[in-house]
Amino acid sequence: MNHSRLSAALVAMACLMLIGCQEPSSDAVPQGFAGLGEDAAAFAQADASTPLRFPEDHGPHPDYRIEWWYLTANLEDDQGEPLGLQWTLFRQALTPPDERPAPSPWAADQVWMAHLGISQGETHAAAERFARSHSEHANGQAGVKAAPFQAWIDDWSLESPSEANFEDFTLQAYSGEGADRFGYTLTLSAQGPLVWHGENGFNAKTVEGQGSRYYSQPFLSITGRVTLNGETREVSGKGWLDREWSSQLLSQQQTGWDWFSLHLEDGRKLMAYRLRGGGPAGGDYLFAHLLAADGQTELIGPGSVTLTPLATHSVAGRDIPTRWSLTLPDVNLQLTVEARHPNRWMPTSVPYWEGDVVVRQAATQENIGVGYLEMTGY
Amino acid sequence: MLALQHVHKTFSTPQGELPVLNGIDLTLQQGKSLALMGESGSGKSTLLHLAAGLDLPSEGEISIDGRALSTLDEPARARLRRQHLGLVFQQFHLVPSLNVIDNLRLQARLADCEDAEWTAHLMARLGLSGREAYFPEQLSGGQQQRLAIGRALAVRPRLLLADEPTGNLDEHSADTVLALLLDLVKETRCALLMVTHSARVAAPLDRLVHLHLGRLGDNAS
Amino acid sequence: MILRVLATLLAHYRRHPGQLAMLLLGLWVASALWSSVQAVNATAKDSYARANALFSANVDELTRRDGQPLTREDYLTLRRAGLPISPMLEGTLQIDGERLTIVGIDPLTLPSDNTLGGSGDALTAFLTPPWQTQLAPETLDVWGLSRQQAPGATPAVNKNQRLPPLALRPALPPDTLVMDIAAAAALLDRDNTLSQLVTAPGALSQPPDGYRLSRAATLASPEQLTESFHLNLTALALLSLVVGLFIVQAALGLAMEQRLTTLRTLRALGVPAVTLVTAILLELLVFGVLGSALGLASGIWLAGQLLPDVATTLSSLYQADVNQSLVLPWHYWVGSLAITFGGLLLAGSGVLWRAARLNVLALGQSQAWRLAYQRQLKRMTLGAAAVAVLAMGLALWLGRLPPGQGVLASFGFVAALLLASALCLPPLINGVLHLLQRWLRRHPLAHWAVADIQLQLPRLSLAMMALLIALATNLGVSSMVGGFRLTFLDWLDQRLAAPLYINASPSTLAPMLDWLDARPDVAETLPTARGSVDLLAMDDAQQQGARERIALFGITPNPTITNGWPLLETAAGRPAAWASLSANSVFINEQMAVAKQLAPGDEVTLDTPQGTRPFEITAVYPDYGNPRQQILVPTKVLIQRFGGEIASIGLVVDENADRQALRQALADRFDVAPEAMVDQQEIKQLATQIFERTFTITRALNGLTLGVAALALLATLLAQARERQRQLASLWALGVPRKTLTLLPLFQLGGLALFTGVVAIPLGIAITWTLVAIINVAAFGWRLPLYLFPWDMLITLATALGVALAAAALPSLQLWRTSPQAMLNQGAT
Repeated sequence: MNHSRLSAALVAMACLMLIGCQEPSSDAVPQGFAGLGEDAAAFAQADASTPLRFPEDHGPHPDYRIEWWYLTANLEDDQGEPLGLQWTLFRQALTPPDERPAPSPWAADQVWMAHLGISQGETHAAAERFARSHSEHANGQAGVKAAPFQAWIDDWSLESPSEANFEDFTLQAYSGEGADRFGYTLTLSAQGPLVWHGENGFNAKTVEGQGSRYYSQPFLSITGRVTLNGETREVSGKGWLDREWSSQLLSQQQTGWDWFSLHLEDGRKLMAYRLRGGGPAGGDYLFAHLLAADGQTELIGPGSVTLTPLATHSVAGRDIPTRWSLTLPDVNLQLTVEARHPNRWMPTSVPYWEGDVVVRQAATQENIGVGYLEMTGY
Repeated sequence: MLALQHVHKTFSTPQGELPVLNGIDLTLQQGKSLALMGESGSGKSTLLHLAAGLDLPSEGEISIDGRALSTLDEPARARLRRQHLGLVFQQFHLVPSLNVIDNLRLQARLADCEDAEWTAHLMARLGLSGREAYFPEQLSGGQQQRLAIGRALAVRPRLLLADEPTGNLDEHSADTVLALLLDLVKETRCALLMVTHSARVAAPLDRLVHLHLGRLGDNAS
Repeated sequence: MILRVLATLLAHYRRHPGQLAMLLLGLWVASALWSSVQAVNATAKDSYARANALFSANVDELTRRDGQPLTREDYLTLRRAGLPISPMLEGTLQIDGERLTIVGIDPLTLPSDNTLGGSGDALTAFLTPPWQTQLAPETLDVWGLSRQQAPGATPAVNKNQRLPPLALRPALPPDTLVMDIAAAAALLDRDNTLSQLVTAPGALSQPPDGYRLSRAATLASPEQLTESFHLNLTALALLSLVVGLFIVQAALGLAMEQRLTTLRTLRALGVPAVTLVTAILLELLVFGVLGSALGLASGIWLAGQLLPDVATTLSSLYQADVNQSLVLPWHYWVGSLAITFGGLLLAGSGVLWRAARLNVLALGQSQAWRLAYQRQLKRMTLGAAAVAVLAMGLALWLGRLPPGQGVLASFGFVAALLLASALCLPPLINGVLHLLQRWLRRHPLAHWAVADIQLQLPRLSLAMMALLIALATNLGVSSMVGGFRLTFLDWLDQRLAAPLYINASPSTLAPMLDWLDARPDVAETLPTARGSVDLLAMDDAQQQGARERIALFGITPNPTITNGWPLLETAAGRPAAWASLSANSVFINEQMAVAKQLAPGDEVTLDTPQGTRPFEITAVYPDYGNPRQQILVPTKVLIQRFGGEIASIGLVVDENADRQALRQALADRFDVAPEAMVDQQEIKQLATQIFERTFTITRALNGLTLGVAALALLATLLAQARERQRQLASLWALGVPRKTLTLLPLFQLGGLALFTGVVAIPLGIAITWTLVAIINVAAFGWRLPLYLFPWDMLITLATALGVALAAAALPSLQLWRTSPQAMLNQGAT
């Protein structure tokens, strides 16, 4: 009894050591943010050769190295106070397909990580979960099924009923105990079509051609309850669900990205990002996709957008741009995008900034929308 | 009293055998005094030690009162020494742990022949009365040597052997000590064999022999 | 100039190499014993630090209420229900006779700040084939691998299996292999079953249905538990350090005395006092470097020899795992050097002081040492009186402390007692010798012998003080160990009432109990049970809601057990106590009684599954070998009311029952190893073995201290041997036979040592008392009766005599082999 407790406890430390004590990498080749630029030749490669297929592509793609189901939402509570939230399930393959361990109860070739974030005003609550699975086991601690759609880790889940697969969803995720408990129970409903960010859903991320399969459901309307600061409130608003998978998302020169998903008041949706490095002549790689209210593409492509940080804020010891100028010259759109609060740092194992933003006309500073901003690699 | 016949003494050294005495013949009568002179290393002290039974000759025979020392074992020689001999050294060899009176009667007590009257008499003669409780290091050199002489004579020895008894003393003390020694020898009628390198010290003695290269150049005066 | 002065000073040791040897010997033994114990302590501290890192990540555990083993399905179900639990798989591997613990973990869910970050390479290597074996470098000894060879090596486990590639993690405890749960499951062939489901302490407010939640007990860390043990070791090491420094001081003092003329001459020749002092300081430095280098080297060697026994002691007594190989941090080296140099400076301070205020005009003046020594004796007496007052003060203060407290103060008391006795020893000897001299006036040789030993006293007194301290400590410690031994064996006899015991997992034992009860050849079954309970703070004013986890132990209160079961105190006699135990009262162990200051008649408030309620304490029982507090209730009560589990079954079988057949039937029926059934004799034997090893280091250190004291005496005798020979030669010239002269020093020293031994006996008893009544209670939580062993005292006297004779033998032998005439001549040069 005594001994077992001791060893139980020692392991916690062993875990810390996995990260804490590892030898510094001997080669100085940069590997992009969170290893996403690592060479992944042994994995399946994302390209534009085949169109996306549904419902299969709602499910996991274990032959690809990384994948995510990424929901952000701009909501208002019953007092009219804005509130932002995110729920993300990441999948990462531990081994290339041909090096997978034989299936056994504990052997794993996939690691799952989920993030839960809620922010309102100064408050920013975040939680993280991990799990392992084997791609040949269907019912693990975490996983995703294509139809009826179900993505889960522990007791966190995003599910569709079979009669409205990937159109209606319920999302439930809570963390903490007692007064520290926070989370949400939400009903999501798609008000528009799925959107493909590129030919056959392939979205290039560098001039060299690396990229990902990438589609979104940006037309979600959301209602539900959010628990935060010991209170539970009714909320409603808009949501944006991203689906993306790849084996090499970034080139080795790319150190991070600034990614925007904006809901404009006129019903248009704008996705824009800047990958720092890996662009033409060693510069940044910028991409934008502007959608009409019916989901039709108004503008798509690299180089169609300029993104300029206007002000930075010191967050978690780093300088984070919290106010941006975003312009789409081809459609004469000049916007200022500003974080509602700089305190949106996700202190997770891979830390990053993720938070709700307001969108203003650059000229008049008139509010014309809301959205989410994710900044990594700072 | 003391007789040495063909006494040879050889020491073993790392450099080989070292002859020190080469055939010594010497006799000393009861009540007589003999001075043994010679330069350093001539073997005077060796001869004295042999006479005291502290060491045995390599060849020849030494007898005291007709008893051949070679026939006695170590304990017997020790008994002979404590009962019948008195030894006086240049370094006094007093016992630092004992006070003056205990030093004086040490040998007598060891020999179990203490004579309290004689001891008291000696104390007076030695000029040490009143200093019974002193310790040796609290005495002057002359006093220490007088005490050593007293200790030797406390047993009323038949033979007194003295090795440079005045060697460590200044001239005045030396004279005093020597006079006292000779007086007491007379008083006890014991024989005296004294080793010295000083002709002045040797002069008052009955007889004088020279030791040179281990042989006696016998020129009695 | 200073170097020239130093060279002149050092030239002395060329003529007297014996003094140099003695000086270095003193430094060497002082520093060797000290640094070896400090090495042992440093290693233990390192191990505790590792274990503490684990305790800080203490976990709660879930088990199934139905007693079935946990499986992956339990894990998944609970995890999907949102419980933050993590699976663990634990097992042992036998490799070349070494038992290694394999711990399989899931780093992704462990309750800690685990992270999935960085480049993820390390995590991937841990989680995926060929996986990874993390282990402390010390564990490599099992395969004889070097640290360089280790990374990536895959030692064989058996014919078919190899360990995953090794990766060194110095912070892990030894003999533990940590790996991914998938790799562990494959190695241990476990498939779906788990050893534990763990969760961060307090993460669950209540267990899920069908499960039992075992809280991480708020256990004292091994560091706290073993603090007194290490204090003990340090005290013993300090003792030998002091004894060693006695030698150094004696050697330095002698060298100083013999060089006084040189020093005065140097001063007269124009060497400033400062230069002289600096030169002596430099000389000390040179010796310090030499001595501590020697001392450290042999100290580390010695520590290596002692460590296995220390490790056994600590694990058997405190369940504290200590590394079997030395771990020496930088502060160990600095500390050891500092102690050696500090000690040397302290020992040399007298010499420095004398050199600094050297009187140049005293050239050739005869020393008034006799008077000086008398003054020194007076100072010693005064010092002894002062320290004795301090010791009495400490004793009074200790008497007013509650039991189990004041470990440091009691060591202080022992130290003061030893110091006072040591200080008053020379005046005491001096006085006795004085009386003896008077009494022996008529026996010249005996008189001389006594007077002579009195003369040697200034030189010998330090060595005798060292001998006194070593003897008294030795007697004190051996009486304590001997008394403990008697008590412990007696206690073991009473506690182990059943002739047979069965140990197995609770899930096996529960059905086994019914089966055994049904067998005709089993006369009686006596199950024990274990569990734990929250003890609520007894005084509301203390801390509202403060609770402490206390271990529960359950016994079957049948006459077989209760007739012999030892009790220390009862509220109303043994029969009443046993009757009350079955009626909702509890017994507590002595450790708890001491720590909580409880006595029979008091109440404890326990948080039972049925609610919080008070229980009366009706007896206190001795519980040797257990470092923790414990409450005793009947087995039935423990299982039914406190959620405990059956821990073992004591068996009384019919006289003519076939034990072997029973053993076999058990093995066949319940899938337990035949070794699960243990004979009472085997347990006793094992317990006794552990006991013996527990005190090995104490005995070893004690013996070494005595050895150092003998060396101190020998060194002192050797240093003055030449002068002594001259003295004896004079006696020889006066007609004392040589044999007598050779034997005299043996009588002198033997007598002196015997006297010291006689003084050591009451001192030793005082030490035993302090150990038994104060230090043990604080260190272990139990008090032993004070036993006195006349045989031990005789041995102490014999040891004193033996030490003295051994030390005196060498100079005497020298005397026997040197012709006295040569000694007389020596005096003449």
